[in-house]
Amino acid sequence: MKRTTALSLRLVQAIAAFAILLSSHSIGAGETPGFRRDIMPILFRAGCNTGTCHGAAKGKDGFMLSLFGYDPKGDYYRIVNEMPGRRLNPAAPDQSLLLKKATGEVPHTGGELFTRDSEFYDEIRDWIAAGAPDDESDIPEPVGLELSPERFVFEDKTTEGQLKVTALYDDGSKRDVTSLARFHSNNASVIEIDEDGRIAPSGNGDSHVFARFNRFTIGAEVIVLPPAEDFTWSNPPADNYIDEIVFDRLEKLRINPSELCDDETFLRRITLDLAARPPTPDEYHAFIADPSPKKREAKIEELLGHDSFADLWTAIWSEQLRIVGGNYAPVGTYIKAADTYQEWIRKQFRDGRPLNEFVADMVVASGSNIQNGPVNLYTMLSHEPKLNPKGFAADFSQVFLGIQIQCAECHNHPFDRWTMDDYYGFVSFFTGVTRKPGVESREKRIYYDTKAAPAKHLLDERPVPAKTLGAVEPVSTKGDPRRELAKWLTSGENEHFSRNLANRIWAQLLGKGVVTPVDDMRVSNPPVNGPLLDALSEHLVASGFDLRSLVREICNSRVYQLSSQPNATNKMDTRQFSRAYMRRLRPEIIMDSVVAITGQQRNFSGFPSGIKAIEHYPRTGGATSGPHFGDTFFETFGRSSRATVSSTELKLEPTLSQALHMSVGDTVQPRLSANGRLKKLVEKSASPAEALEELFILTLSRKPTPFENEGLVELIGEESKNIDVYEDIFWSLLNSTEFSFNQ
Amino acid sequence: MKRKSTNRPTSHSGCSGYRELSRRGIIKAGSLSALGLSMGDFFKLQAADTEAFSQESGVKKEAKALSVIQLHLGGGFQQQESFDPKPEAPVEIRGQFGVTKTSTGDYLSDNFPRTAKVADKLTVIQSMVGKIPDHGQATYHLFTGYTPTAVIDYPQMGSIVSHELGQRTEMPPYVAIPKKNGFSGSTGFLSSTHGPFEIGSDPGGRSYQVRDFSIPDHVSMDHFDRRQTARQIIEERVRRLETNPDMLETMDDLYKQAYSLLTSSSAQAAFSLDGVSDETKALYGSDVVGLKGPDRKFHPKGLAERLIVARQLVESGVRFVTVNYGNWDCHIDVKENSLDQMPALDAAIAGMVTDLDQRGLLDSTIFWVTSEFGRTPKINRDGGRDHHARCYSNLIAGGGFTRGQFYGKSDATGGEPARDAVPLEDLLFTIYHQLGIDANKELLAFGTRPIEIIQGGKLIDGLIG
Repeated sequence: MKRTTALSLRLVQAIAAFAILLSSHSIGAGETPGFRRDIMPILFRAGCNTGTCHGAAKGKDGFMLSLFGYDPKGDYYRIVNEMPGRRLNPAAPDQSLLLKKATGEVPHTGGELFTRDSEFYDEIRDWIAAGAPDDESDIPEPVGLELSPERFVFEDKTTEGQLKVTALYDDGSKRDVTSLARFHSNNASVIEIDEDGRIAPSGNGDSHVFARFNRFTIGAEVIVLPPAEDFTWSNPPADNYIDEIVFDRLEKLRINPSELCDDETFLRRITLDLAARPPTPDEYHAFIADPSPKKREAKIEELLGHDSFADLWTAIWSEQLRIVGGNYAPVGTYIKAADTYQEWIRKQFRDGRPLNEFVADMVVASGSNIQNGPVNLYTMLSHEPKLNPKGFAADFSQVFLGIQIQCAECHNHPFDRWTMDDYYGFVSFFTGVTRKPGVESREKRIYYDTKAAPAKHLLDERPVPAKTLGAVEPVSTKGDPRRELAKWLTSGENEHFSRNLANRIWAQLLGKGVVTPVDDMRVSNPPVNGPLLDALSEHLVASGFDLRSLVREICNSRVYQLSSQPNATNKMDTRQFSRAYMRRLRPEIIMDSVVAITGQQRNFSGFPSGIKAIEHYPRTGGATSGPHFGDTFFETFGRSSRATVSSTELKLEPTLSQALHMSVGDTVQPRLSANGRLKKLVEKSASPAEALEELFILTLSRKPTPFENEGLVELIGEESKNIDVYEDIFWSLLNSTEFSFNQ
Repeated sequence: MKRKSTNRPTSHSGCSGYRELSRRGIIKAGSLSALGLSMGDFFKLQAADTEAFSQESGVKKEAKALSVIQLHLGGGFQQQESFDPKPEAPVEIRGQFGVTKTSTGDYLSDNFPRTAKVADKLTVIQSMVGKIPDHGQATYHLFTGYTPTAVIDYPQMGSIVSHELGQRTEMPPYVAIPKKNGFSGSTGFLSSTHGPFEIGSDPGGRSYQVRDFSIPDHVSMDHFDRRQTARQIIEERVRRLETNPDMLETMDDLYKQAYSLLTSSSAQAAFSLDGVSDETKALYGSDVVGLKGPDRKFHPKGLAERLIVARQLVESGVRFVTVNYGNWDCHIDVKENSLDQMPALDAAIAGMVTDLDQRGLLDSTIFWVTSEFGRTPKINRDGGRDHHARCYSNLIAGGGFTRGQFYGKSDATGGEPARDAVPLEDLLFTIYHQLGIDANKELLAFGTRPIEIIQGGKLIDGLIG
């Protein structure tokens, strides 16, 4: 009891002292440090408000700060007013717990952050002594950062560099905040950066370093070059602007691209990429025999015209839009709805519909989910029984913009420009999307309830009307705001949209995005080649968002047609497209390839026989919650479960189960006779070598190497007409690394 | 750093030696047969190599435990109805069940009579502390030791164990029964060769058979070996391209593993339930049922069979087995959820501990019962309990963990730890320690970025005897 009384007495005294100080603060405030201007940046720089310390959602050890300082008002309250007299001691500033903790004088989980003789200490002490004033309306707002230099190029690893960070304010003033910013490097094996912004190269390559201050992140490119004397630029010819930009970048990095790939490799690569199947032996022979210097261009044109090109892109979109159909799905993912949606998408791709119109149709769609395909954006992207506008907005942004805004639900995005206002404004586009029962039992009708209230800001519960990302003003409130959203989203002026689409198309064809992962574009995850992404995006816009036009351009570039064989300078390159990267085929394409090569079809439960794997989407007899692969083969080979929209749902890493399945499972073994094709092939061949050649062309679209020929002819030995030994070889071709990869 | 030189060889030197041979072109069918070696013999030599390496490294690190069996109760397990009953709390906290006194004089919920009898062989931790009460994120946290980020994908514990310790025998180091948990992450920045082998079929099911696990009857060993030989010849071309050596190495590893699993009778037997006596099945409670199913009949849960297979796998050299059981996300009617699933769980835990002990495996095997988080102290208006990550329970036995201990304590409502809080990272750290892995060690992500196995984890001396 005694202790409590003593404590409350001290509290009263402290509050009194504090009140006096507060009232005296307005005089001569010009000299004293301000909370927002001076103290918040110190808390940021010292790391007090990081996610692992007091910036955690519930704070740390009983003291909470907003993550990286997104809520200065709340932080002021928690430091000054939450427990009066505890954290600050205006009568004896040096005795303030805030300072004693930060200097480690009293036990502090975070240890010593700065010393008593530091500038940070002096400033905080002066601020407390001055009565801990809040400078809420007195100071200019930061509006951005400048970094100098904007780019570093290191010729050797002994030089060092220094970043200077300048904050820009809304009154036009500037301030050097280098000592208050936080720094990080995207790749410490290329470049290291210390807490004061000094940078030191550590290995050859290119990367970015970043500075953060207030809610802004800004990056500078760093290139660390290999020795000039070991390098001669090979000066490869450029076939189009893609080559010019990529080669320009490679020359700067002192990397020579690989040679152009041979015709065999090209034919298999382009056929798998555009038609989702390997070339037939007839196609192979015709292409190899064709003397035309323009035959690659012609092949690209031919494949772009086939339905299978549209089927492949339907599969890709179906996956990222999370189409799943269930017979007893209670929530709108009814099988008829899924079918209508899938067929609608297929039609758009077969008709060559501009991608922006394709997306806009879905965004503004209303009506029945089993009659009107595009409306299923609102039943499939989020499978929940009731559309949750927050989750939906996050998925929507990830799919159509490649941006993950969900961080900004609880705090300003720490590594990007998105604020909580952006987030809640974006959510408000979907708060009125409503599902009501239709005529049929599992039918849903989607309509927009214009009377629905907008989303409320987490901190102050203020309603934030629908507003596009980065905009200051909300959109016009008359009627369905999704029309405004679609207009903004799919306009050629919305770089986020066109860059996202262009990057995903590039990634599909080259195996890697210019930004990776494709659905995590942010300031702190910049493109490996900025001009390249700009050019691809501009091409897409200029072509009227024509998918085939951009694909044609990419496939006709020398960059797409490079060999996968590295040279001395590009062996280590895994991101600048200096050679073709080996890409595991999508599970559907592996299955379709086995079927095409063996001529023995594969049926999928719930679908009519004869459909291709690439036309398949997950159907289930029951409900649609949980992950859905649609077939154990797809699951084993890493198809997206459609449980989320994330691009990482598709897993193309090889596994033991895959090796076992291809070795003894029911995909390869029962098809080794290839419907009698193998027998015919062996019978009509004059020699084992001839049979081998046909078998290789059928399976891998190439002739055997002399090494293979020698080894395998020896293996066949005396049994030149024994079908068993050819089956064994056929098995090994289908089990080869080459078969399940595009190289 | 010391560890590196002893570990690497288990997964690497075998293969690179192998690769060198092919580079010189010795692995041509002709020269192989000239040596009197078939491809099968060759793979067997490789496997023998692997074993020698891992035995050597095992001794050097003085591991207390060789293997882990993780029984994961997905959905968030109700500690109040199991390992941390609150008999003195008001009924909305206490719930519908009483308590039973254990052989150590402590208390478990009366849903666990059999487990109570073997409490002298195990450790109950009542003060686990997680981070996020969300299934996806918390499961990822449990399996990897990290909460998910957009930038780095962290490897699962079993994958790290595989990476660090390699194969003990021809068995894959990491197995999931029947499948891995969908939220549990992947091999992250490690090669996919360290991923769990998912047996893809439920040992508790009627038609249990590991998927794609036997060479078809009409394919003779000679044929199967010839296929391997032909495959090696064809791999030569892409190997020469040197375009992605890591990928090639992974593919080689996987085909080697597949071959040895398919051709070894002991590996085949380890996955099979043939020859398991009725007595053993009964020990694990294969006949124990919960509530009536929708067809108004009682059904055994199959957990006993899953754990029996897990024990056989560990016996034959698997290092990390994950067994999944049940759906514990009891937002509605925690009583029914418990009555249905807990009897089989109780019997299986008691059976597992007893069986491991009888076979002399308990000291070298860590049996660990996990969930991604616990449930809220207060029962909600639907008679259920909601997600609660700030305090929950785990059970652990064997592998050098102190026998017969109740470690840590939760407060009166079970809402927060009252003493000896065990952050998840610390428990993971301690398990790694028992396996002979220093979890402070940094692994290289993307070949360049050092990442600690567990960040900021501490060894809990009080847990290990």
